[in-house]
Amino acid sequence: MLTKRRDAVSGRARLQGIAAGLASGVLDRRSFLRRSGLAAGGVAALGGLTLGSVRKAEAGPVVANFKIDRKKNICTHCSVGCSVIAEVQNGVWVGQEPAWESPINRGSHCAKGASVRELVHGDRRLKYPMKLVNGEWTRVSWDVAINEITAKMGEIRDKSGADSVYLLGSAKFSNEGAYLFRKFAAFWGTNSVDHQARICHSTTVAGVANTWGYGAQTNSYNDIRNSKTIIFMGSNAAEAHPVSLQHVLTGKETNRANMIVLDPRFTRTAAHATEYVRFRSGTDIAVIWGMLHHIFANGWEDKTFIQQRVYGMDQIRAEVAKWTPEEVERVTGIPGAQLKKIAETFAKERPSTFIWCMGGTQHTVGTANVRAYCNLLLATGNVGVYGGGANIFRGHCNVQGATDFGLDITNLPLYYGLVEGAWRHWARVWDVPYDYFVSRFDEVPAKAGRPARTRKENMETPGIPSTRWFDATSFAADDVDQRDVLKAMIIFGHGGNTVPRMPDMVKALEKLELLVVADPHPTTFAAISGRKNGTYLLPICTQFETSGSRTASNRSVQWGEQVVKPIFESKDDYEVVYRFAQKLGFAEAMFKNIKVENNRPVPEDILREINRGGWSTGYTGQSPERLKAHMRNQDKFDLVTLRAKADTPEVGGDYYGLPWPCWGKPEIRHPGTHTLYNTNLHVKDGGGTFRARFGVVYPEKQPDGSTKDVNLLSEGSYTLGSELTDGYPEFTYGVLKKLGWDKDLTQDEVATITRIGGGNPDAVGWAIDLSGGIIRVCLEHGAIPYGNGKARAVAWNLPDPVPVHREPIYTPRADLAEKYPTRPDGRQFRMMNAGLTVQKTAIEKGVAKDFPIILTSGRLVEYEGGGEETRSNKWLAELQQDMFVEINPADAAARGISDGGWVWVTGPENQSKARMKALVTERVGKGVAFMPFHFAGWFQGVDQRGNYPKGTDPIVLGESVNTITTYGYDPVTGMHEGKVTLCQIKAA
Amino acid sequence: MARMKFLCDADRCIECNACVTACKNEHEVPWGINRRRVVTINDGKPGERSVSMACMHCTDAPCAAVCPVSCFYTTADAVVLHSKDLCIGCGYCFYACPFGAPQYPRVGNFGSRGKMDKCTYCAGGPEDDFSTAEYEKYGRNRLAEGKLPLCAEMCSTKSLLAGDGDIIASIYKERVMKRGYGSGAWGWKTAYKETVSV
Amino acid sequence: MKTWLKTFLAMLALAFVASAPVAAQNNNFNPTKESVKEEQLLNSLKPGERLTGRISIPDEKAASLIQPGGQEWRAFHQQKLPFIGGVAILGMLALLAVFFLVRGRIRVEGGFSGKTITRFASLDRFTHWLTASCFIILALSGLNISFGRMVILPWLGAETFASLTALGKLAHNYLAFPFMFGIALMFVIWVRDNIPEKIDLEWIKQGGGIFSKGAHPPAKRFNAGQKLIFWIVMGGGVVMSGSGWFLLFPYLAQNGVSDMQFYTTIHALLAVIFIAVMLAHIYIGTLGMEGAFDAMGTGEVDLNWAKEHHGLWVEEVQAKAKAASVAPGAMPAE
Repeated sequence: MLTKRRDAVSGRARLQGIAAGLASGVLDRRSFLRRSGLAAGGVAALGGLTLGSVRKAEAGPVVANFKIDRKKNICTHCSVGCSVIAEVQNGVWVGQEPAWESPINRGSHCAKGASVRELVHGDRRLKYPMKLVNGEWTRVSWDVAINEITAKMGEIRDKSGADSVYLLGSAKFSNEGAYLFRKFAAFWGTNSVDHQARICHSTTVAGVANTWGYGAQTNSYNDIRNSKTIIFMGSNAAEAHPVSLQHVLTGKETNRANMIVLDPRFTRTAAHATEYVRFRSGTDIAVIWGMLHHIFANGWEDKTFIQQRVYGMDQIRAEVAKWTPEEVERVTGIPGAQLKKIAETFAKERPSTFIWCMGGTQHTVGTANVRAYCNLLLATGNVGVYGGGANIFRGHCNVQGATDFGLDITNLPLYYGLVEGAWRHWARVWDVPYDYFVSRFDEVPAKAGRPARTRKENMETPGIPSTRWFDATSFAADDVDQRDVLKAMIIFGHGGNTVPRMPDMVKALEKLELLVVADPHPTTFAAISGRKNGTYLLPICTQFETSGSRTASNRSVQWGEQVVKPIFESKDDYEVVYRFAQKLGFAEAMFKNIKVENNRPVPEDILREINRGGWSTGYTGQSPERLKAHMRNQDKFDLVTLRAKADTPEVGGDYYGLPWPCWGKPEIRHPGTHTLYNTNLHVKDGGGTFRARFGVVYPEKQPDGSTKDVNLLSEGSYTLGSELTDGYPEFTYGVLKKLGWDKDLTQDEVATITRIGGGNPDAVGWAIDLSGGIIRVCLEHGAIPYGNGKARAVAWNLPDPVPVHREPIYTPRADLAEKYPTRPDGRQFRMMNAGLTVQKTAIEKGVAKDFPIILTSGRLVEYEGGGEETRSNKWLAELQQDMFVEINPADAAARGISDGGWVWVTGPENQSKARMKALVTERVGKGVAFMPFHFAGWFQGVDQRGNYPKGTDPIVLGESVNTITTYGYDPVTGMHEGKVTLCQIKAA
Repeated sequence: MARMKFLCDADRCIECNACVTACKNEHEVPWGINRRRVVTINDGKPGERSVSMACMHCTDAPCAAVCPVSCFYTTADAVVLHSKDLCIGCGYCFYACPFGAPQYPRVGNFGSRGKMDKCTYCAGGPEDDFSTAEYEKYGRNRLAEGKLPLCAEMCSTKSLLAGDGDIIASIYKERVMKRGYGSGAWGWKTAYKETVSV
Repeated sequence: MKTWLKTFLAMLALAFVASAPVAAQNNNFNPTKESVKEEQLLNSLKPGERLTGRISIPDEKAASLIQPGGQEWRAFHQQKLPFIGGVAILGMLALLAVFFLVRGRIRVEGGFSGKTITRFASLDRFTHWLTASCFIILALSGLNISFGRMVILPWLGAETFASLTALGKLAHNYLAFPFMFGIALMFVIWVRDNIPEKIDLEWIKQGGGIFSKGAHPPAKRFNAGQKLIFWIVMGGGVVMSGSGWFLLFPYLAQNGVSDMQFYTTIHALLAVIFIAVMLAHIYIGTLGMEGAFDAMGTGEVDLNWAKEHHGLWVEEVQAKAKAASVAPGAMPAE
C-alpha cells in the first residue's frame, strides 16, 4: 500500500535565478518520438559555456497542457495478465501509469510490464515487409509480399499437398487472432497448426485434461492467498511470473503458509521459500511417488475425497509402494526425512496448492509428471477448493487463449477433437458445408508399409508438432507420414530459438522453399540460416496496436483496447490473415459472419462467432460487451474471490474476466468459474464437478484375466444445490428427456437441437447444441452440463496409464537407465520417436563421461520466450547484456573457470558448441549447469548480427541454449526434453 | 508536509527489476544510467535477499554536504534534489553517498563525467513544474501531480514502499508482526539515522 | 612436465566430478528464517568494506549496496580537512605575519652593489614559473572546490560560483599536465644542486641565518632551506600527481569508490600542506627578503645579495668565469 501525497502543489525550496529551459514548441509525431533536449541554464549565462552534458531525452516527453488519453490494455508478456494503462498524447504513447484497479496486478508490473511502452517506440522493429533476394534483404510492399507468398503456397499445395505448408501460430495472438489462425488452417486443409504451448504446457494440457476434464489452471493467482501450503515444483515464478508473487507472498505472510520449492536450482523463488528441496532434474515422478509413499504409509490421504471423486487411486498406491525412501533418495537425491516432512505438511496443512511450470513439463515424461502432480493433489483432496488446486502458471500472455482456440495439432478450437462430429460442429458454426473442409485436406498415399489415408482420415489425423517441424522437413519423404515433407513454414509470432537441436533446425531451414516470418521483429528464423531466397518478413504490430481479448492463466478473459495505431507499416494479425485468405480464395466463406472493415476483420465480431461455437469450454458467455464492462469496472472485483458484489451495476456477481467455463449465452449471465471442480458452489455461482468425459464405466482388467465394469461417475459428491445428488453422465437431449427436463427447453431450442441432430436428436450433446438450451436447463437444475464424474488417477488411454519414472534420454545415471529406461521407440505425430534408441546409444557411447554436467534451462525476468522483443527493448536489454551459463563453484574451480570468464559449452549431439560467459554460483548444485533460453543471434561462436535486416537486430545477442539441448520427445504431445540434458563446459 | 522516504522490504523483493525499468520508462533515462537498481546479497546461498536501492533522500544528506557548488536542495517533502545547471560533475557526491545513487553519463578522461543524475523521487528539479526543461533534465514530476514514485507504485510484490516515512514504517512494522520475520529496513539507519524496530 | 602434471590434475578433478553421484546436495534449510539481516551484515563489515552483492548490469559500481566509507569520507571532507587546511594555511600565514613583524624584511646587509650575477638562466626560470603558475591555479581552484562554498559562494551567488568552479575544475584538470611536466623538468635540471651535503647541517644549525642579522651560514647554489623546498616539491608533486592521476582517469581505480575516496583524501590532505609550505616559499622569495625575487624575476641577482646568501656558489661561479674568460668568445659574467 502506498500513501498518496495530500498536497499536490510542490512546496520545494527554489534556487534563485535558474533560467527556464527550452520552451516546448509544436511537435509532429516523429519529432515527438525523437526530440532531444539541451540544457541552457545559469552556467551558460555566464560565458556561453556548455559544461559537461545534460542527458538528452530520447522520446516521448509529456507535453504540458496537452490532452492525455488513458487507454487500458494487457501486458503482452507472461500469463499473469497485468493491466497496462497507457497515456497517449496526439497518437503517441507517452507514459505508463499503474493500473491500481486491476484485481490481478493492482498497479504492479515486473521489469517487462514496466517497460512495454518501449515496444511501440520500436527502434528495432521490422518497419516494412522485406524479402530475401540473393541473400540481400529488400523492401517490398505488402501487396507484393502477400501475392508472392500466397502464389508460392499454392504452388507447394499443388505439388506436395496442403500438409507441406506448416502454420506456426502464436501465444501472442489475441483470442480472436488465434481463433482466426486456426480457422485459416482448417480452410487451408492441414492440422499442422501449432504454437508455443507445444513447448511450454502441452504436456500439462494433455495430462491434466486426461485426469479431470480440462487442461488448465484450476484456481487462480489471487486464490493462492487462501493457501496454507504452497508447493512450487519446476516453477521459478519470481522470474517467470513476478506479479503472481504478490499474491503468493502476501498469502504466505498472512496465513503463515508453508512455501516449499522443489527445484534443481536455488531460484529467486526458492529464496522466499520456507523449505527448499534440491533434486535431480528429470526425477519428478520419483519425488512425487516418494511423497505419496509417506502419505499412504501414514494414512494422511483424504479417504472420503478419493472414494467419492477419484478413479484408480489403488493402482497408484501399488506403484508408489515401490518407492521406498531409500530408492527415492537414490534416484532423486532428496533425503528421506526431508521428503517425509514436506509430504506431511502438504497432506495435513490444507488447503495445499501445487504449482508447476516448464520444469515439470519439458521432459520425455512431461505428461506423466503432470499426472503424478495431479495424483498428489487428488490423494490429499486438494482439488476443487479455494486455496488448493493445480495452479499451472502458463507462460505467454495468451498461451491459454491460443491453446483454447486450438492452435494445436490435435484439436479444433476449444478442445473439440479432430473427429467428424467436431468438424461438423464447427462447419455449422462457420456456416460452411462440412464437405468443403474434407475436400481441402490431402489424400495420403500408402508409404513404407503404412496404409494410405483418405482425405477424411487425414483431416482427423493430428499434425506435426512444432518441436519436430525440421525433422519433417529433413527426413526422407517415406519417413514422414503425409503426402510429402514440409516445404514451407509460415510463422506468426514464434521465436526460432525455442526448440532443441538447433543445428538440425538450421539445416532444415535451408531446405525450405518458403519461409515467412510474420512478427514485430525478424526473429532468429530470419538470421540464423544461410538462406538466400524465398524468405519473407512481414511486420506485425503488437497487441498494443490493436484490440482484442486475451485469456490469462487463470482463465480470466480480458479485453485490450488499441493504445496507438500500428507503427511503421505494421499490420495486425486479423488483417494479415484476412489478406492471406483473400488471395487464397476462401476469404468470403471464412468471413461470412464476421464484419471486415478496410481489410480488417472486426475482433468483436470474431469473438461473437467464438461465443456461438465455444460451448465445450464455456467460451460462450464472454461477449465483447461483458468483457469491456469488466475492464471498466475492474475496481469492483474482490482481490481474493475475484467476484463483484451482486448489486454492482454491469458486472454484479461476476468473477473477474468471466473465467471459463462461463456457461451459456451471455444473456443468462453466468458469472464464470473462478475455481474449477468446486462442489461447494452452485453451478450458477461457478461451482462444478470433475468432468465425466471418460465414460460411465470402465471395463477394468482383473488379475484373473476377466474384466469388471468400474464406475466412473462420482459417488455422493455433487455441486451445491444440485437436483441430482450423485454422479451423472454428460448431458444430451436424450438425457434431458429421461430426466423430464426437456420440457424446460424453449421451442426454438428444441428446433435447433432437432436440426443439428438430423435423424437422431437424442444424441445431440451439450457441447454441440448451438441453442445453448441444454446447458441453460442444466444450470437451472443445478447440474453441470459436462456431467459429474470421477477424476482419473489412472489414464488408461495414455502410455504409462500409471505414471512411472523414466530416466531422461541423456541421463547422467546409466545405472538407473537400465531399471527405468525411456519408453520404446514408436511412431507419433507422423514420425518416428526414437527415444529409446538414442538413450541406449548414448549410454553405450558413455556420453555421461564426456558430458558430465546436467544442463537445465529457464527464464530470466527481463526477457521472455525467444527474447527478440525483449532483447530489442533498451530498458530491458541493459539489464542482461550477456548470455551466460550458471556453474557451481566446485565445477568451475575444477575447470579453471572464473566468474564472468568466457567458456565453451559443448553438447552430446551434432558436435554442438556455444560460447558464453560463466556465472559461477551456488544457485546450481555440483554437476549441474543452467542457461537462460532467451538468447539468440550467436550460433556456435559466430556473431550473426549482420544477418538481420539493417536496424532490426536486437540490442543484445547471444548463444541459444537450444544449440546444445538434445533429442527427446514426450510420447503424448511431442514436447521436447528442454529441461534436462548433458553438457561439458571448458574455459574459452 | 510529509517526510518522504523509501523502504524496501527485502522479504518481498524478488529482484524482478520492475522498479528499474519503470524508472527508465517514466524518465527516459538513457542506457548506462541506473537511478534505481536491485542488488542481491548472498546470491544463490542460504539467506539470499534482494534489495532495491536508489537515492534514499537522506536526512542530512551526505551528497548535499560535500557538494562543492551546493547544487543540492531539500524540498519541503524532504526530497533531496539537485540542479544540473549548477552541477560541475566532480564526483564528490558519489564518493560520499552510502548508496551509490549518483550516476554520471560517462566516466571519461580528465574526470569528465557530465552532469550528475540521480533519483528525483519523481519530483523533477528546480525548474517550473511540468516544464519541458524540467522533464528533459530530471524526468517527470509525479509528486507535483499528486502521485508517488513510479518504481514503488509498480513494484511487483509491493516490496518497495514510498510515501510518508511514518506511514511506510508502520506498514512495514505491521507486516513483520503479522508474518514474524523481517530482514530489516535496508538503508534506514544509514539514511535516516533511525530504524524500524518491531 | 609441469603441463603434463596440470593436465593430469585437471583430469583427476574432472573424473571426480564425473564419478561423484550427480544427485542433489543436501540443501535442507529454510530460506525465510535463515535470511540475511541488514543489521548483522553492517555490523560485521570491517572498515573500508562495502555491503555488496550480485547485479546483472555489467557495472561493478552498481553491485555495491551500502558503503559506510562514504560517511567517513564525508566527515574527513567536512570536518578534518577544513581543520587541517585551516591550521596549515592560516597558521602559516599567521606565522609569516608574526615573522614579518618581528624580523621585518631581510635586507641585503651590504647594500646593493649595483653589480649583478646570473643566478637563474631562462630555462630555470621557465621551469620555475611554469610550475609555479600552474601550482597557483591548481591551488586556488583546489581550495575553491574544497572551501569555496564556505567562502566565495555566499558572496558570488550560486550560478556565478558554479560557473567559476566549473572553470576552475577544467583548469585544474588540464593544468595538471603542465604542472607534472614542470615537476619533472625541475627534477632534471636542479637535482644535481639539491643533493644534501655536510655544509647543509651548518646552515641548519644556524637556522639559515634568517633569525638574526649578520649571520650568513655557508651555502652553495641552493641552501638547505631551498633544498628542503625542492624535495618537498618533488615529493609533494609526485604524490599529488599520482593521486590526481586516478582522479583524472577514474576508471583506473581498481576498487571503485573506495579507491577514489582514498585518492581524494590523500590529494586534499597533501594539498593543504603543500600550499602552506609554498606560502612560506613565496614569502621569502618576495616580501620576506630584499633582492630575492630578482633571482626568478630577471634571473640576475645583486652580487652582494648573492655573496650573503650563496657565498660558496658565488666563489664557484667566479672561479669558473675566470677560467672561462681565457676561452675566446666567452661572455664575461659581469
